[in-house]
Amino acid sequence: MSTVDTEAMLVRVQRENFSIDEEIDRVRNRSTRIGGIATFLGTARDRSEDRDVSRITFEYYEGMAQKKLREIRDRALQDFDVIEVLILHRYGEIDIGENIVLIVVGAMHRADAFKACKWCIDELKQITPIWKCEQTPDGQVWVEQHP
Amino acid sequence: MTVTVKLFGMLKAQLHTEPELTVQLDQGCRVEDLIAAIQSMNPDVGDLLLKRKILVSVNHEIAHGDTELTSSDEIALLPPFSGGSDTPGGMPFDVYR
Repeated sequence: MSTVDTEAMLVRVQRENFSIDEEIDRVRNRSTRIGGIATFLGTARDRSEDRDVSRITFEYYEGMAQKKLREIRDRALQDFDVIEVLILHRYGEIDIGENIVLIVVGAMHRADAFKACKWCIDELKQITPIWKCEQTPDGQVWVEQHP
Repeated sequence: MTVTVKLFGMLKAQLHTEPELTVQLDQGCRVEDLIAAIQSMNPDVGDLLLKRKILVSVNHEIAHGDTELTSSDEIALLPPFSGGSDTPGGMPFDVYR
């Protein structure tokens, strides 16, 4: 697999669910220098803003979303002492309890991995054009500004 | 010139169109002229653009009022992203269907 193909696998927006083990291995296999891997997994919860939620739909801006995720990965690799970063976000309809977003950061030491992982998910939520629509008993609600 | 503006999320329902909006502008227009045109079509959306609650992107980058537009630009209106804050905040509007 070429470097371009490998890097494309490290930043993805996809409809399908993913295997956390496979994605961790994708980072682990990038370097034997990695001594710690931090992950953040976002999942679909059934409660939001005091409303029951039965399903979530994610919409994204094709092209710009991937560009922003690549920028986040590049900046994390540049600004933190980490070896590899993987960022993956799903779109489409997602049932309660399912995976939504995964960040995997490999570093020599855990402190750097934790710091970069938190920065990546915080930055993703700030600058990536992805929108969430929750199905509630009152109908569909487009959501902004979530913790 | 005619520009095509991509719409996302709540904006498609708000502007009663999908998935794109076609706007007629003079040659050499800027983002601020596009916002004025949209405001005349839908004042609520126009106000949110002026308050920068809704952002304009041009060729996948956030644009400012003085960004010049051409008919070949890829333009989009971006409502607030789903995770824009560390604390829960108020929504400009909900769209119930």
